[in-house]
Amino acid sequence: MEFTAPIFDIQRFSTHDGPGIRSLVFLKGCALHCPWCQNPESQDVRPLVGFYRDRCQESGACVEVCEDDAVRLDGFRIDHQRCSRCWLCVDACAHDALRLVGETLTPEELMARVMKDLPYYETSGGGVTFTGGEPTVHIEFLERVLLLCAEAKVHTNIETSGTFQWSRSRAALELLDLIYFDLKILDPDGHRRHLGAGFENIIENANKLVSLGLPVEFRMPVVSGYTDTDDNIGAVVGLLRRLDQRFIHLLEYHNMGEAKIDVIAGNQPKLGLGRYPSDRWGSVCGAFEDAGIEVLHDAR
Amino acid sequence: MTVWCPSAETLAVHADHLTSQPALGAERAIHYTEYWKRKSNDETPACLRNAGALAHHLEKRSIQIFPGELIVGCHTEHRIGAICHVEKAGSAMLEDLFRFEKRPVNAIRVDPGVKGTLLRSVVPYWLNRSLPMKAFPLRQKLKYAADQLGAAHYVINEAAGVAHFLPDYEQLIEIGTEGLRQKLDERMDDDALDEDAKNYLQASLICVEAVERFSDRYRDEAIRQGRADIVEVLERVPRQPAANLREALQLIWFFQLLIQIESVDQGISLGRVDQYLLPLYLEEKAAADFDADEIRNLFAHFCIKLSEVIPLFSGRVTEMFAGLPSGQALCIGGLDEDGNDASNELTFVLLDVIDGFKTRQPNWHARIGAGSGDHYVRRVLEVVSGGGGSPALYNDDVIQPAMVERGVDPSKVWNYALVGCVEPALPKESFTSSDAAIFNLAIGLEVVLGGGQLIKKGDTSERPWLAEIQSMERLLEILEDQTQERVLKLKASLDAIELSGARFFPTPLSSLTIGGCVENATDSTAGGAWYNASGIQAVGVADLANSLAVIDELVFRQEEYTLQEIANACATDFSEQNLLLARVRKVPKFGNDDAVVDELANRVALMFDRCISQHTNTRAGKWMPGYYSMTCHQGFGKKMAAMPSGRLAGRPLADGLAPVDGTDRLGPTASLNSVAKLDHLRFGNGINLNVKFDSAAVEGEKGTDILVGLVRGYFAQGGMQMQVNVVDPDVLEAAMSDPESHRNLLVRISGYCAYFVDLTPAMQQELIDRTRQRT
Repeated sequence: MEFTAPIFDIQRFSTHDGPGIRSLVFLKGCALHCPWCQNPESQDVRPLVGFYRDRCQESGACVEVCEDDAVRLDGFRIDHQRCSRCWLCVDACAHDALRLVGETLTPEELMARVMKDLPYYETSGGGVTFTGGEPTVHIEFLERVLLLCAEAKVHTNIETSGTFQWSRSRAALELLDLIYFDLKILDPDGHRRHLGAGFENIIENANKLVSLGLPVEFRMPVVSGYTDTDDNIGAVVGLLRRLDQRFIHLLEYHNMGEAKIDVIAGNQPKLGLGRYPSDRWGSVCGAFEDAGIEVLHDAR
Repeated sequence: MTVWCPSAETLAVHADHLTSQPALGAERAIHYTEYWKRKSNDETPACLRNAGALAHHLEKRSIQIFPGELIVGCHTEHRIGAICHVEKAGSAMLEDLFRFEKRPVNAIRVDPGVKGTLLRSVVPYWLNRSLPMKAFPLRQKLKYAADQLGAAHYVINEAAGVAHFLPDYEQLIEIGTEGLRQKLDERMDDDALDEDAKNYLQASLICVEAVERFSDRYRDEAIRQGRADIVEVLERVPRQPAANLREALQLIWFFQLLIQIESVDQGISLGRVDQYLLPLYLEEKAAADFDADEIRNLFAHFCIKLSEVIPLFSGRVTEMFAGLPSGQALCIGGLDEDGNDASNELTFVLLDVIDGFKTRQPNWHARIGAGSGDHYVRRVLEVVSGGGGSPALYNDDVIQPAMVERGVDPSKVWNYALVGCVEPALPKESFTSSDAAIFNLAIGLEVVLGGGQLIKKGDTSERPWLAEIQSMERLLEILEDQTQERVLKLKASLDAIELSGARFFPTPLSSLTIGGCVENATDSTAGGAWYNASGIQAVGVADLANSLAVIDELVFRQEEYTLQEIANACATDFSEQNLLLARVRKVPKFGNDDAVVDELANRVALMFDRCISQHTNTRAGKWMPGYYSMTCHQGFGKKMAAMPSGRLAGRPLADGLAPVDGTDRLGPTASLNSVAKLDHLRFGNGINLNVKFDSAAVEGEKGTDILVGLVRGYFAQGGMQMQVNVVDPDVLEAAMSDPESHRNLLVRISGYCAYFVDLTPAMQQELIDRTRQRT
C-alpha cells in the first residue's frame, strides 16, 4: 500500500531543532489549535492555496483559470470551500502571490529531497526533524520514511504534541533517534478550552515513552497567560519529576507566525503579545531550576 | 576560547600605522625616469637597465625606521604608500593625479611639488615608452587602450606587470643573499653561456648587491637611532641564513617589499609559512626564555608591514578592483606528503594572530583536506566566526588533482600554496601569471542576442539572426564560437603585452627567487621558471546559466516567448514587461540545488575551460581558467544591458562563482550543493565563493560546529574554496532598503535561522539594533 502525506515546507540548514545541520520536514494536519501556533497553515490536513497579498499585481490570471469560481480579486483571493485543489491558479500566478501550501509526496519522494543534504548531516551529526503540524497524524507514512532514514543512517527527530494513538504509533516512535515532546497546558479543562481538543492520552504517552527508555526530551512553549501560570508550571515540574527528567527545553514565544494567518485566511486570533518579558522569563526558569530541573533555552 | 591580545607595544605601532595617511610614493617613478633618461642613448640590455634602475632607486630613496618597529623597511618613502610603477601601467594610473586626494574613498595624499615633477619630467617621458605602449603598433595601441578603458569584455592585468608568484623564501632564509650570490657565481662559470645569459646573470648580481646596500642603509639608520636590536638583526640580514624567526621575517620582508617595488605590488605571496618557518620556531621554543606571545607579536608586526603596501589605482581601476587589494597571500595548514594533517604548533600561533589582530593584509588562506584533524579545522572556523572573513578555506582534495590535470608534478603537488586571491600554485619553481586577465563570460550572450555587438539601449528592431536559433544546443554552439572569438582578441593583446614585458621590462630580482631562472639563465618574464602558466578568470557564470535557463524554459520548452522578444526586453531593461519579468523570476536559478540550471552552469563553466585551455602563453605555459571576479562583477555589470535572467541593466554580475545575490533561496546547503556540482577538477586557477552569515548565526561553540559541518560537507562533495563573511549591521540595513538583492541573507532570530527579508520591518529593525549593540 502506498502512503502519501502533505508536506508544506522542507527547511534546509536548520540548526536549532536537534543536533547538527538538519532538514525540517513540515507535515500538515494537527488535532490541536494552539492560539500561539507558529504555523497556522499547518493545522488543516489538506493542501491549500496560500495568498501573499504584498506580491499580488492584480493581473487577474488566477481568476481566469479557475473553474470553480473560487478566486476573486476583491478581498481574500481564494475561497477554500469552493476550491477543488487543482492548483491551476498557482501555476498561473507569475508573481508568486499564490503558492501551494502542502505538496503531496510519497515517502520515496520525500527521501530524495532530504537526502540532498546527507553530506552535511554526516559531517555535523545532523539529520532530519519531522515537525508540522503534528507529524504523527501521518503515522504510516512517517513509519515508512523513518525506515528509509534508518537504512540510510540518517539521524531522525520528531517534534510532537504527544497526541498520538499509542498502539498505532509505537513502531514508528521506536525508530526515532530523538523525540521532542511538547508539554503545553497540563490541566484537562484548560487544554480543551485553549487548544481546542482533549488532553486524553498525552500524559500516558509520555509515561510510556519514558518507561520504554526511548530518547525523549521534553519541551514547553512559554506563552504569557497560557502556559506560564504558576499552576501549570507546577504541574509540568511535577510530571517531569515523576518521569525522572533532569532538564526541559523552554521555547520563548514570538509572534512571527501571526503574519501567516492572513496567508491562509485562517481564523486563529492574533494574541497581540510582544516579546516575552525578561523578568518574567527569569522567574519561569527559576521555578524549574528550584525543583532541580535544568533549563535549556531554545528560544523559538 | 579567549581571543589573543597583542602587546601594548604592538598596538602602539599599529595605532601609528592606522593614523598614517596613505600617500603617493613618487620617488620610484622619479628615480626610474632619471635612470632611464640617462641610459636613453646607450645600448644597455634591458635586464641590466632594469637592474640598474632598481639599484639606483634603492640607493637614492628615502628610508625610515618608525618608533617601536621590530621589522623595518618601507614600501615607499611614506609609511603607507602607493607606488607608481611608471614604466608599466603606473603612468595610466596618473590620469587621476588631480583626483587622488579628493576622492571620497581610498584618498591618497600627494606631496606638494610631486605633482609638478611628475607632470613635467615623468609622465611625458613614458607616454610612448611604457610597457603597454611599447607592446603595440600605433593602430592596435589605440584599440588596446579603448578595450582596457572600456573594460566591458575583459581586463588585462598583466599590463601592470606579471607578479603573482610564490618567491622561494624557504631557500632564501636557508642561504641568505650570500648563498644567492654563490649560486650566481657558480652559474656564471659555465663557458657555454651566451651574451644574453651572461647579461641576465650579471643583472641578477646587481640586484643582490642593491638589496644588500639597501639593507645596510637601514642598519646605519638603526645605529643612528640607537636601535641595538635592529642593528643586531641587520648585521646578519640579508647576507646570512636566518638564525631565528625575527631574522627570517626581516629577510622575507625585505625581499617582499623589493620584489613589489621591482615587479608590481600584486599577488606576491608568502606560501606555507607555518611549514617552512617551523624549524626556526621549534629551535626558539627549545630555549629557556621562550615566550609564545613574543612570536605572536612578531607576526603581528609582520602583518603591519604587509599592510603598508597599497596599490595605486585610478578611479576607473578601482571600479574593477575595489578595496585596495595587494594580494599578499599567506597559507597555513593543509596536508603533508602522505596526506596527513600538516598543521603544527606554529599554525595555531598564526591562527591566534588572525583571531586577535585583524589587518588589511595578508590574505590568509587555510588549506583543509579530508585528512585535516578536527582540532585544526575547528580552530580555523572559530577564527572565521569571529568575523573579518579570514582565513579563506581551500580544499586540498580537489585542488591537488585539479593541479595535476594542469601538468603539475604529482609528487610535488601536496606542497601547493595560494597566490594572491585564490590561485593555487607550486611554490619555489612556478611562474603562473595567475591573474593575467579577467574575462566577462556573461556578456557573450548579449553579443549573441545583439548579432555580434552589444545591445543598444531601446533597440527593438528586427533581429533576423535570432530566428535561426531554434534549440538550446544551437544557442550554446553560437555562444561558444562567440566566446572563442573574444578570447582570441584577448589573446592577441595579452601576448603582445607579455612579449613587451619580457623584452623591455624583465624582473631579475624577482626571478632570483623562482626556481629555474638561474639554472636557465633566463628571466621569469621570458620563461625562465621551471613551471609556467597563465590564469584567465571568468566572470558571470551564474548570470549566464540563469539566463540560459530562462531561455530554455520560456522560449524552447514552453514556447511562451521568442528570442526576439527576450532580446527586446533586454534592450528596454524589461520596462513595461512586468509579466515577462515575473515569469523570468519564477524559473529556478543557480544556487537552489536545481538539476537543470546547475547543469547549465557547469556547461558554461566548461565551455570557458575549452575556450581557454587550448591556448599557450609566450612562456610556453598553458592557459588555465579561474572563476573569481575581484570586484570586476560590478565593473563589467555596469557596462551591460539587462540579461534574460532578469538582471537589470548596469546591475552587478554574480560575485565569483556564487549564485546571483538574492536568488539562492533554500539556504547555504542548497547553494553550496549547486556550486559543488560544477566540475572543479577543470578549474585549475581556482575559484572564489563568498558566503554571508549573520554573526549571531555562527556564534558560540554550536555555531562553530555548524560551520565545521558545512565546510566539511561542501568539501566532501567536491567544493574547492569558500570564504565565510560574517555580516555586519550595515549590510542588514542595506537589506532592509533593498530586500530583493538580499534574499539569501540568513540571520538568527532568537533561536533559529531565518531569511532577513522574510521578517517584518520591526523585527528587522530589532535585529539591526541587536547586531549594533553586539559590535
